[in-house]
Amino acid sequence: MKQVKEEFITTKKEEQTEKRAKVSLHQTIWRWHFYAGIIFAPFLIILAVTGAIYLFKPQIEQVLYQEYYEITPQSEKIPPEEQIDQVEEQYPDAVITSYRPGEDAARSSEVTLTSNNESLTVFINPYTGQSMGTLNSKDRIMDKIEELHGELMAGTTGDRIVELAACWAIVLIITGLFLWFPKKKGIAGVIVPRFTKRKRILRRDLHAVPAFWITLGMFFLIMTGLPWSGLWGTNFQNMATNTGEGYPPSIWTGSPPTSEVQTKDIAEVPWAAETLDVPQSDVQGLTSLSINEVVGIAEGQNIHPSYTVMLPSEPDGVFTLSAFPPKAQDEATIHIDQYSGAILADYRYDNYGIIGKIVAWGITLHKGTQFGALNQFISLLICFGIILVAVSGLYLWWKRKPKQGLGAPKAPRLKNAKYFLILFIALGCLFPLVGLSLFVVWLIDWLIIQRIESVKNFLNA
Amino acid sequence: MKKILCTSLIIVMMLTGCSLKQDADSLYNTETPLDADIMIPESIKINEKEEIKVILTQGGHRVKDADFVHVEIWKQDGSVSYRMEEAMNNGDGVYILRKELDSEGLYYAKLHAGNDGSVIVPQKQFIVGELSSSEIDALKEDLPKQNANQEPHH
Repeated sequence: MKQVKEEFITTKKEEQTEKRAKVSLHQTIWRWHFYAGIIFAPFLIILAVTGAIYLFKPQIEQVLYQEYYEITPQSEKIPPEEQIDQVEEQYPDAVITSYRPGEDAARSSEVTLTSNNESLTVFINPYTGQSMGTLNSKDRIMDKIEELHGELMAGTTGDRIVELAACWAIVLIITGLFLWFPKKKGIAGVIVPRFTKRKRILRRDLHAVPAFWITLGMFFLIMTGLPWSGLWGTNFQNMATNTGEGYPPSIWTGSPPTSEVQTKDIAEVPWAAETLDVPQSDVQGLTSLSINEVVGIAEGQNIHPSYTVMLPSEPDGVFTLSAFPPKAQDEATIHIDQYSGAILADYRYDNYGIIGKIVAWGITLHKGTQFGALNQFISLLICFGIILVAVSGLYLWWKRKPKQGLGAPKAPRLKNAKYFLILFIALGCLFPLVGLSLFVVWLIDWLIIQRIESVKNFLNA
Repeated sequence: MKKILCTSLIIVMMLTGCSLKQDADSLYNTETPLDADIMIPESIKINEKEEIKVILTQGGHRVKDADFVHVEIWKQDGSVSYRMEEAMNNGDGVYILRKELDSEGLYYAKLHAGNDGSVIVPQKQFIVGELSSSEIDALKEDLPKQNANQEPHH
């Protein structure tokens, strides 16, 4: 009898511990979701807003720069070299960096140059050679939006913050899904909000239900955006390229091949007037290919007509033909020897490794160009969804927040949440910035929060 | 303390990550471009047969029987322009063109060579006799190096 009683007590105790553990796990996850949400919601809103605008870059720029883009087709175009000469006359001290022939007969050509540390694009009517106007990169609104989206206009620091926000958004998705996971049967409060219940429930549902709906899309945008990031992205791209399954080198990471030439073989340009101030033998030598020849070579390579020719900036540099049109399958990067015109590397979509192909598709889908209007529309919906979820999440907190303190869920002891700890360590390994930030949070907690009573109470730690 | 050190070490290792391998390009689509060494005598006199020698290599080997090796010569001021001529195969990847030039000045010789899918069009600047002052000016301005009436090739 005694034994039975003891057994009964043990089972009850076990049940209680299990229940407590469950509550404590729920609380831990809620607490992390809460803090990550409050800290990163503003960034996610910025990313969603700028992303939603940037999606429509082609249409917006078409309207903004119509006068620079559109020309009336005529019978014959003048050679690229003469077009560039015009630009050089206009900007004698500039360094020409690239030439874009224009993808169809009604599109102007573009000459990009660097002048006084600024990047300018001169639009040329290729039939007349006349300049249609100049755009300074720093005045381009879409460039600003892109800078805001990619690095919050704060250079490397901004890039790291965006990456951190993206990584923590994954933490938000995982913890959020856990909190959302239905405990009872039925669709109310799971995939449709409960409009007839109390306001408090409706507020929760207006966050959790749309969040569930956009989870996949949001996760997709994060994962396709991360390869762009400065830290995770660069390492990921390096790793992929090193395995032979990523992008070939020079497309994302790595340098292009070099023109194989010895300095003594290149023809020198004398600079003093009227006299040949360098030895005759130095003037004799190899000369660079003209842009006309490079465009001629490009035309024989079956490359997408929206390509750009990047001019070499070093004596051993190469001409690079680069095409990144709306569809990933049309991408091309071709490196041409500056002196011989030999094709040193020819990378098409088909030459990408499997990871490279996936990333390339990810990028065009992320930018909304792969499937045109439908792609833009779906991406726009996800952006709106992210804004709604971030705002409703903040609102949820605001309404629940007590007068004093932050209103954070209570912190349980860390060792009670073993699985959770394992999950976070795994996430920390996968996304080093998450790991680093977790480490910093833990340090702050250990060094400051736990030692100062008022801070501890405010944060409910 | 030990724990902190360990964690920092792991994080630093992860943040520095991995760099790109030098020979990563060999894992992708590789090209074997033609390479030409064009030899033009350092001083050329008018009305004397001079020899332009081309050594073709591809993938580190001499190209003994290239698909085509043509040389085109013209004068910078446009006054002289010879038709594209086939260079003679001298064996072991050496191709030769003998040419007599009858006026002094600044010249260009352009090679058109192709073999096994690779086409090259390197161009060399050279001087016959003495340069005129207008040619020196042209050199200084780095003006048209391009043959005005370039024929389409193949």
